Amino acid sequence: MSANLLSVEKLAIRFTTPFGIVDAVRDVSFTLERGEILGLVGESGSGKTITCRSILGLLPKNALPPAGRIYFSGVNILDLAEVELSQIRGEKMSMIFQTPTTFLDPLARVGEQIAESLRYHLKYNHAQGRSYSIELLRSVQIVEPERRVSAYPHELSGGMKQRVMIAAALACRPEILIADEPTTALDVTVQAGILELLRQIREERGLSIILVSHDLGVVAEICDRVVVMKDGCVVEEGTTRDILINPQAPYTQKLISSHPSIDLNVSTQVQEDSRGSTSADILKVENLSVTFKATEGVLQHLFGRGGAAIRAVEGVNLNLKQGETLGIVGESGSGKSTIARTLVSLVPPTSGRVIYKGKPLEEMTRQEFMAYRRAVQMVFQDPISSLNPRMTVNQTLAEPLLKHRICPAEEVDERVDRLMRSVELPAELRIRKPHEISGGQCQRVAIARALTVNPEILIADEITSSMDVTIQAQILELLEKLRDEMGLSIIMISHDLGVIQKLCQNIAVMHNGRVVEYGTAEQVIKLPGDPYTRQLIAAVPHMPVKASL
Amino acid sequence: MKKINLILQRFWQIIPVLLGISIITFLLAHSIPGDPVRLILGPRAPQDVIDAVRQQYGLDEPVLTQYFIYLRNLVRGDWGQSIAFKTPVLELVLLRFTPTLYLLIGGLVFSIIPTLVLSILGSANPDGWLDQTIRVFYTVGLGLPSYWLALVLVLIFAIRSGWLPATGFGNNIKEHISHMILPWATVSMAMTPILTRNLRATLMEKQDADFVIAGLSKGLPRYYIFWRHILPNSVLPSLHLLGVIVLYILGSSIVIEPIFAIPGLGQLYIRSVIGRDYYVIQAMTLVFSLITVTATLAVDVLTLIIDPRIK
Amino acid sequence: MADQLTTGKAPAIAKVVATRRGRLPFLTILGAGIVLAWALVAIFAPFLSPYDPIATDFNAILQPMSRAHPLGTDSLGHDMLAQIIYGTRVDLSMGLIGVAAPFVIGIIIGIIGGYFGGLLDTLLMRLLDIALAFPFIVLVLAIVAILGPGLKNYYIALAIVAWVPYARLVRAETLVLRNLEFVEAARVLGYDSFYIIVRHVLPNAITPAAVFLMTDIVLTILLGSGLSFYGLGAQPPTPEWGRLIAQGQTYISQAWWISVFPGIAIVLMALGFTLLGDGLAKQLKVRQ
Repeated sequence: MSANLLSVEKLAIRFTTPFGIVDAVRDVSFTLERGEILGLVGESGSGKTITCRSILGLLPKNALPPAGRIYFSGVNILDLAEVELSQIRGEKMSMIFQTPTTFLDPLARVGEQIAESLRYHLKYNHAQGRSYSIELLRSVQIVEPERRVSAYPHELSGGMKQRVMIAAALACRPEILIADEPTTALDVTVQAGILELLRQIREERGLSIILVSHDLGVVAEICDRVVVMKDGCVVEEGTTRDILINPQAPYTQKLISSHPSIDLNVSTQVQEDSRGSTSADILKVENLSVTFKATEGVLQHLFGRGGAAIRAVEGVNLNLKQGETLGIVGESGSGKSTIARTLVSLVPPTSGRVIYKGKPLEEMTRQEFMAYRRAVQMVFQDPISSLNPRMTVNQTLAEPLLKHRICPAEEVDERVDRLMRSVELPAELRIRKPHEISGGQCQRVAIARALTVNPEILIADEITSSMDVTIQAQILELLEKLRDEMGLSIIMISHDLGVIQKLCQNIAVMHNGRVVEYGTAEQVIKLPGDPYTRQLIAAVPHMPVKASL
Repeated sequence: MKKINLILQRFWQIIPVLLGISIITFLLAHSIPGDPVRLILGPRAPQDVIDAVRQQYGLDEPVLTQYFIYLRNLVRGDWGQSIAFKTPVLELVLLRFTPTLYLLIGGLVFSIIPTLVLSILGSANPDGWLDQTIRVFYTVGLGLPSYWLALVLVLIFAIRSGWLPATGFGNNIKEHISHMILPWATVSMAMTPILTRNLRATLMEKQDADFVIAGLSKGLPRYYIFWRHILPNSVLPSLHLLGVIVLYILGSSIVIEPIFAIPGLGQLYIRSVIGRDYYVIQAMTLVFSLITVTATLAVDVLTLIIDPRIK
Repeated sequence: MADQLTTGKAPAIAKVVATRRGRLPFLTILGAGIVLAWALVAIFAPFLSPYDPIATDFNAILQPMSRAHPLGTDSLGHDMLAQIIYGTRVDLSMGLIGVAAPFVIGIIIGIIGGYFGGLLDTLLMRLLDIALAFPFIVLVLAIVAILGPGLKNYYIALAIVAWVPYARLVRAETLVLRNLEFVEAARVLGYDSFYIIVRHVLPNAITPAAVFLMTDIVLTILLGSGLSFYGLGAQPPTPEWGRLIAQGQTYISQAWWISVFPGIAIVLMALGFTLLGDGLAKQLKVRQ
């Protein structure tokens, strides 16, 4: 019996779209051996998800019949009819997905969603289904499984929902589990738990896993072998160690070098020429708290009581010096975005103050406040929705110049040109609208727009979180360049410590609305005092030491 | 927030709505030109009788006082007199309630069932010949004037063929039903197109939902996924349409009942508008909105109870 | 498809299809064609109609379809075809004029309520709740009872109550837009609220209202003709389709064509707008 459990040979998949035929997968071949964890790595558009879907025969309606072969147990899956495929799915192979919130039926109990494949494939009755579901929940480390089995998905956390999905996928004891970006939507600390669970399951059951991810760190953690994909083709494959330490293909090398990993050993990767602690604070946050009331309309006002109040930010103190780059790190719900919005006055503080150049915001005159508004600009997370879909790039960039009369009308064109060059955008993109340019290009426009008013402080709120790693690296480089050229002070907000370490001199770690750690980058990363910080650093997937390129 | 609290909140929320309804109803009627008392009592009524009645309804008082008198009378059951029928309005309303109730219930049943059948059939085989036919049906159907439909149905099924009675309501339940068949058909043909379009769209949307793919990946057959997962997820967000249907049927009753000579609330309303029957108009706008608010409230509470996502 | 259009129209439509990215679906073009056809009928009525619609001919009352009268005649000898052709002017303009004021009013109210929120918005929501408690026709009829019958009063009644669905749609869209990052960016850049609303929110919030507009035209025509059916809308001798249907009611058993044909006209005109509306909805969703 061959050790190859699954064999993909020269797979090619095309789609019909309103804009013509698209080649999602051009030429993909790889094998999966029994008991191994295979990583499928690539950025958006690489075709990795489509490849996985085709293994289970789950291609969307507009897919043309694929070319190539996918062999499993001696049979070409692409030749099978739907009926035969549904025998394989669940029993021999199954899949878990990226966003458990949408991939679970919100109206069905969790136990039911696990038991249904047991009833369908193995003909269990109701009682058997329920008791086995409880066992499965236990095996994926969910506490109190007897209680949880009758819960609805929304009652569970993100990590728990993913465990439920895993339990449902493993119910009928398949031989292969395909995990499509299973941890991408989860916080780093939760991610670590899920990866550990997958590793355990492989040990206990001898399960073979295909793990799809865009994150090399995740792949480095648990995969035995790696297949690197780009634009529908396999670029390189090999054992994890080989690929990461000795990448052959240029794209693989670029992928690795773009990966923002935390370097625990190098002392200061970042600017030594920080403008010194002798400079004054350009921005200071004093004991800031922001509380949101979940109101439900006039009745809440009428009857006094609000819904549960959400304390997004509690008692935060920060300061930013001229020329400094401060990083704020935290997971979702930590309050980091709320702070950003308070600093640009989109959200009013509930208590505490924001002080700009010694003057608290609430004491400013209208003039001073307008000047403050211009001095502090922000770049947002989602590049596409940061731009007005109906305005061209030119209009977006010209608007602040004209509205604030920064330069006379005749010079606007030239200014826009200069701005575009400074963010490395080709001039011909001026007439395009956001949906006609890429995400990375949109973000460059957003950065340019923020720079039109000559700000002193730039707040970057997760500006690269929804981007491919290679694009992210480019944007971060751009930010670094602009910072050095223009002497900007930057507050960088991210959930990714690697990204923060690259640019920031000082780091504040936030958890549940409070700053739990605050110091220089070196202090925070090498000698974290707070247990949460330690947990955060430990959870970040580590890459093996790179060979110098 | 606890479910009970949310449900109670819905009840609280209709209070300002009820208040607003009473104000608007009052203002509407108050703006109708003409002296209702004189019209009710006739041209030869003596002045002192007129004055006494005006006194009773407080018609010479300032507007605000009149409003409170209106509210007081409302609760007391004194809803004024009809100019046309010379009878108390409340009596009229109660008398005519039943036929419209028949129309409402039958209309609901005969709209919901075809809608469910057609939407499910259509979305089961999207773009198949059945689906295309259904789509043609509801696209054309959206433009059917209900009064015209009524006439056409009467023409074909009553006049030309004599199968069903053309007008009237009948004297016992059996007769009621046979008289209501054509009105029910009219309401059904007027309502089903838009409801089907709506439900079918929701079903189609849910067909591509992520949890469907997850279900398929477990090897579950499509029909199982449809009944067990897609349908509940489509019906729940569509429940609010029930309130909309009630709204529409009430509105249609105004147009349809006169054609079929059904002595219901709708016929009463249109007659009162044509004849500017002051107190009837006032009472009818109130009654219609009360029925609607009750139906909408019931649907909202039902949705809250059923939806497991709300605790 | 090209058969339905006269040579004058085809090139213009072909250009529209070519300039848009992705082909325009056939049904949308059909809808546009139907609406255009009706518009032409309305404009060229005097040239298309065989008779004067208000000319009576007592020698030819209640005539069925014939060569002389393709759609028959009514109780006063009016030619049905002529009445239907001239009725196009009334019904088409009724649909278009009737939606104008509600569209504008609803959008303004919806945006202001949605963007500024607070007490203003809460009051607006209550108002919308109250307005939605009444079947639409009930309110319109009540206002007609106050003002008296006639098309002009119908338009006034619509202006008073028909803006509600637009306000609801636009408010919902505005609530979403207000939190989108490009609107936040505009605030961070220090623009004043009025400018942000007009330049950034409005063009994007108007989309669902524009889609509903098509459906609303159909509803306006249906309601208006319904009113005329009961003598509360267009007054004689205006050849409005609903009124024509009403006139045929008494003669339904002897001369069914008086009521049936105007109804078919309504259905056909509504079909055009419905198809156009559906196409518009799909096109705009594709864009987003």
